[in-house]
Amino acid sequence: MTSNRAMLNFFRPALAGAVVALLACANAVAAPPTLDLAQYRGRVVVVDFWASWCKPCRQSLPWLNEMRARYGEQGLVIIGVNVDAQRADADRFLRDVPVDFEIIYDAQGALAQQIGLQSMPSSFVYDRDGKLAHTLQGFREARRAEHESQIQTLLAGKS
Amino acid sequence: MNRKMGRLAGGFAGIVLVLASTSLSGCSSLGVKPWEREVLARDDMQLDANPLDTSLDDHIYFSKEGTSGGRGFGGGGCGCN
Amino acid sequence: MAADKRIGGALAAAACGLLGTAAPRLSIAAEPEGKWDIDTAFLFYGESDDRVKDASLTGLAIRNYGDDRKLSLGLTVDTLTGASPSGAIAASRPQTFTSPSGKATYSTPAGEIPLDSSFLDTRVAASAGWSQPFARWYTFNAGLDISTEYDYQHLGLNAGVTRDFNQRNTTLSLAVALGKDKVEPVGNVPVPFAQMTDAVDDDGDVGNRGADSEDKDVLDVLFGVTQVLGRHTLLRVNYSYSDSSGYLTDPYKILSVVDPVTGEPIVRTPPPGVEGPTGVYLFEHRPDSRTRQGLYTELRHDFSGKVLQVGYRYSTDDWEVDSHTLEGRLRFPLGGNSYLEPHLRYYTQSAASFYRYSLADGAPLPEFASADARLADLDAYTVGIKYGRQTSGGNEWSTRLEFYHQAGKAPSEVLIGNQVGNTLMPDFDAVILQLNYHFRL
Repeated sequence: MTSNRAMLNFFRPALAGAVVALLACANAVAAPPTLDLAQYRGRVVVVDFWASWCKPCRQSLPWLNEMRARYGEQGLVIIGVNVDAQRADADRFLRDVPVDFEIIYDAQGALAQQIGLQSMPSSFVYDRDGKLAHTLQGFREARRAEHESQIQTLLAGKS
Repeated sequence: MNRKMGRLAGGFAGIVLVLASTSLSGCSSLGVKPWEREVLARDDMQLDANPLDTSLDDHIYFSKEGTSGGRGFGGGGCGCN
Repeated sequence: MAADKRIGGALAAAACGLLGTAAPRLSIAAEPEGKWDIDTAFLFYGESDDRVKDASLTGLAIRNYGDDRKLSLGLTVDTLTGASPSGAIAASRPQTFTSPSGKATYSTPAGEIPLDSSFLDTRVAASAGWSQPFARWYTFNAGLDISTEYDYQHLGLNAGVTRDFNQRNTTLSLAVALGKDKVEPVGNVPVPFAQMTDAVDDDGDVGNRGADSEDKDVLDVLFGVTQVLGRHTLLRVNYSYSDSSGYLTDPYKILSVVDPVTGEPIVRTPPPGVEGPTGVYLFEHRPDSRTRQGLYTELRHDFSGKVLQVGYRYSTDDWEVDSHTLEGRLRFPLGGNSYLEPHLRYYTQSAASFYRYSLADGAPLPEFASADARLADLDAYTVGIKYGRQTSGGNEWSTRLEFYHQAGKAPSEVLIGNQVGNTLMPDFDAVILQLNYHFRL
């Protein structure tokens, strides 16, 4: 009886600690990443959903770097949303394909669900008033020029 | 066409109809969201993961048995673009 | 569902920095544009005893252009040697046959299954294919393939289209292939059911021969559905239809004519001073058309990094050769970017309606007949294992070792006289060894 009590005395706080840790974890995971576009009002925002397993992303991310370099000063903001289930995969990909823009991690796909993601990769382009102007589904080399001119048009629009 | 072949074609049509009615109707209880394809995108999950093995095997069994072929292509993968 | 809950659990653990039990991952191969992706293989196939041995070298090169456009080029060279059963049955005394060229003879000891005299044959096959997407949801592919060996040529064209639905969870595919083959047998095409004649010297005409070549046309249609069932599971179902017409007979295969009571091959004595067959052997004759349908279904499922692939194919045709094939592979990732993949395959078929073990002397000839063991009732199984390893450069070595066993049976209806319970089928075992190297250029 005594040894059982002793075991309980040992395990109870340990168990409590574990439960607290798990709850904290659960909370950390349950809260989806937030994307508040209001802070970017007045600028053109491209929200691009990508993943390490998405082959066209090897072309789309460098292209987004290029757009950022060329139009950043004119008010272009790029936000990359990564949907990899494992953060390590995203990190490995970024070592091969570094990016110059902010990355938000959406491992559970909550943002993707919220925004209504239909295909991978996808870019949601918002004009200077914060309204969704274009949804670019997939990435094809052949349409680079078209996408770029769409961005230029939006940048030329008034705030 | 003999009865067995008729039944086989019918069986296939049946399977297609079942799959079609659940998937194409947009009911989408079958399938995953576009951002949930990390496993399906893996090389070892591709239907044509080992094209050489498949074609070498097909050639051996074609030469040694009475039936051949039928395996086909297309689908699965990362679902990108 | 259950699978998602497990993923949720793993995510929670990873997000909190606890030790996640992430499965070892095979790297998702990048396909850099403007580069060649090359797969090469050496294959050795060897049957027991003096039977067929084959060694081949194969290369498949894939070049990716932008936007999922792909060119594939393939080349195979293989060398075949060794003997295969001629279709004649074993006798209780030695037998002599005229070789396919008609100019020589070969013999088989008593009690043994006659095997065609050994030959050496080299085959070269090449293929080219192109695939590209069009519109948003379609891909188109087309290709051509040719092969040539000393007595056989093949030319094929194929084209297909796929269409994705339901956020690419469902893919429908349709493909058509046309083939034109030409057979130019050594000694010319034998006349159906003609008797094997005595050997002739270099100047003589081989008796009972017809044209020097014959053609065969094949149409193949494949309709398939691929469906993503879940994050870890993929299902494929294919319906295939195949129509062959033209010369479908094997010009080298024969049937033994036997005594209707004893079932023993009847004896023939060649004329004095002449070498020739010591029995009555007739060349086989198959129908000039064959229509076949098949249903193939395959499931691929990932269990935390292990991949199970199970496939079943049912095939039926108007020759009454019905078959079932059941096959499974399980890939286990090992440490250090390597894997082990055991493989099992089971095959069973029912005999063609015109399959005969032998022909009865004096009985009227059937319309078609063949003693080719590949058209008999048969069961076969394959047991194998594959090991593969990735190098640091992203290239891969792999090796595969398999054992194949085939056992045939002549349906009792085709047995004659004392053959019942006394048949000898050319069963065999074979070993398959393959070495692969997959690299980028």
